[in-house]
Amino acid sequence: MLTLADSQFSAYAAVGLLVLMAAGFGIFNLIASTLIGPRRRGKVKEMVYESGMNPVGDARRRFNVRFYVVAMTFLLFDVEIVFLYPWAVNFASLGPPEGDQLSLMFLLRMGFFVLTSVVAFVYAWGKGVFRYD
Amino acid sequence: MSNLMVDKVATLWPEMVMLAGAVACLMTGLSSQASRRRTVVWIAAATLVIAGIIAAAGTAQATSGVGLAGMAKFIKVAVAAVGLLLLMLNTSSTSQEGVALMRDTPELGGEFFAFFLCSLTGVMLTAGADDLVWLFLALELTSLPTYVMVAMGRQKLEARESAVKYFFLGAMSAALFLYGFALLYGAAGSTQLADIHQYALDNPHDGLLMFGLVLAVVGICFKIAAVPMHFYAADVYQGAASPVTAFLAFVPKSAGFLALLLMLGIVGWPLPQPIAWLIAAIAVATMTVGNVLGLVQSNVKRVLAYSSIAHSGYMLLGVLIGPPGSAPGSGNSATSAIGNGVAAVLFYLLAYGFSTIAAFAVLACLRVENDEAQTYNDLAGLMQRRPALAAVMVVAALSLLGLPPMVGFLGKIYLFGSALTQGYVVLVVIAVLNSAISAGYYLPIAASCIFSKPMRDVQTIEAPGRQAGAVLAAILAVVLGFGGGKLVSSANDAGRVVKQKHADKVSQVDQEKQFTSQ
Repeated sequence: MLTLADSQFSAYAAVGLLVLMAAGFGIFNLIASTLIGPRRRGKVKEMVYESGMNPVGDARRRFNVRFYVVAMTFLLFDVEIVFLYPWAVNFASLGPPEGDQLSLMFLLRMGFFVLTSVVAFVYAWGKGVFRYD
Repeated sequence: MSNLMVDKVATLWPEMVMLAGAVACLMTGLSSQASRRRTVVWIAAATLVIAGIIAAAGTAQATSGVGLAGMAKFIKVAVAAVGLLLLMLNTSSTSQEGVALMRDTPELGGEFFAFFLCSLTGVMLTAGADDLVWLFLALELTSLPTYVMVAMGRQKLEARESAVKYFFLGAMSAALFLYGFALLYGAAGSTQLADIHQYALDNPHDGLLMFGLVLAVVGICFKIAAVPMHFYAADVYQGAASPVTAFLAFVPKSAGFLALLLMLGIVGWPLPQPIAWLIAAIAVATMTVGNVLGLVQSNVKRVLAYSSIAHSGYMLLGVLIGPPGSAPGSGNSATSAIGNGVAAVLFYLLAYGFSTIAAFAVLACLRVENDEAQTYNDLAGLMQRRPALAAVMVVAALSLLGLPPMVGFLGKIYLFGSALTQGYVVLVVIAVLNSAISAGYYLPIAASCIFSKPMRDVQTIEAPGRQAGAVLAAILAVVLGFGGGKLVSSANDAGRVVKQKHADKVSQVDQEKQFTSQ
């Protein structure tokens, strides 16, 4: 029996193409840089890459835990934005909120989702994550 | 469509109350005043009471993916009630002396109780799941907070170690059952349990569906600490603080069994031959491994961990039998609780929960040299020092062993009796033999409390909540053993397959087709 997944399988062709292109791009760059790249060696060339800065010390040292907390807080809002964009793009096509049950439902759902992030934000604020002194 | 959503939201009021309570705990815990921070426990308690009342008063879910709709209401009320008991265990000492004794236990803040409520919300959501995505999120909502609770509950290196072990193995099991879910979706083309159920009925020999189901079952075995995924139990139970261990023994296990029932509901009872063999094999291996390894432990927390594994093995018998009326020739068993495997599992979850919570509560009340009491020697002679706590421990051990008149006996009667009515004689014999083996470690616990002379300097924490929780759990274990009839009948009502509109509609269409072809 043909299932839904079978019948719409050709719809995944675009994804497959994207994967092929991404892999091809990576492999092409690796091969191209080994083939046509200049090979110069030296003290500066073999130095650790620090975005153009002179490296200071070893990377294996202890960092303030604050960096991780900030990173996690950033992740929270980053992921929220990832969900907000497709929602915002599609929301316009659902019609005005008044009267329309479906779009009202979508608005409430996103409101709840944003509320969870606000709770997390208030908690982080109260916990002193954004205090630098 | 939106009407359906409104109906769905209406069944979720207990969960929403729990979530609001969790947020309230989180925010109150931030207060700079210690007196206000201490109200967090009361907020959590009020939340559980309100959620329980709403769940009890609310209407049962109209439809649930595989027809086990009655389960949700029963489990929501049960989770709220047991949650209150677990909350009592997790209160700390009020006196200075007690605080000094509990040096390895941090003052539990708003975060802990927020996670506590979130995890219980996860169990409630699991019970009402009708979609694979929902089921996965509910299971993770149950598990993720427990990893943090293990790490937070005790300021010892062991607790950190067990939290990390628990987290990584939990992540692996989540990956396993998520992979299984993906295959189920790939086979059936829908994430709705009802659609997958219909697909499984139409295509009983679909290899992809079966493979997905097996992966999902094995992944869920982690939550219930069943055999291929049981390794973590002893280490994690030992490392976590005793009140948190009590939480681990009941909450993720309940969610796991609910998820297992929902997953197996996809293929329906009686289970197809390979799945039935798989569940039977896991059941036998789980109870045997749990009981045999339980014999060789000297740490009571590890013993109780292996006992938790063994009890999962017993409960898998109930999962194997399933709801009544699904097997041909079992029409009369629909009236009695014996023969209803789902009801037996639901009742046994509570029976096991009360007994094991009582045992961990006693351990949580005792301190030996600034550490938790956890060996047989620590319990020795408890009867002479603290008769009440010793009595609770004896009741708990005997109830876990399944001696009358404790509730564990009643639970085993329903489980094993149901298995007998369905003809699983060999499995019941193995289970009874295993119960006999388990006497080899439950009786020493009771005996060292009563007969041994005190060996170590054991002190009792003046934590009224914990002691009351211990006594209450033991009383429940005895009272429900005598008068669990009401609970049994409500479990029996909960564990039925409710005929769905979806299935009816399909059969109607079939009839019309037949009619037109004639």
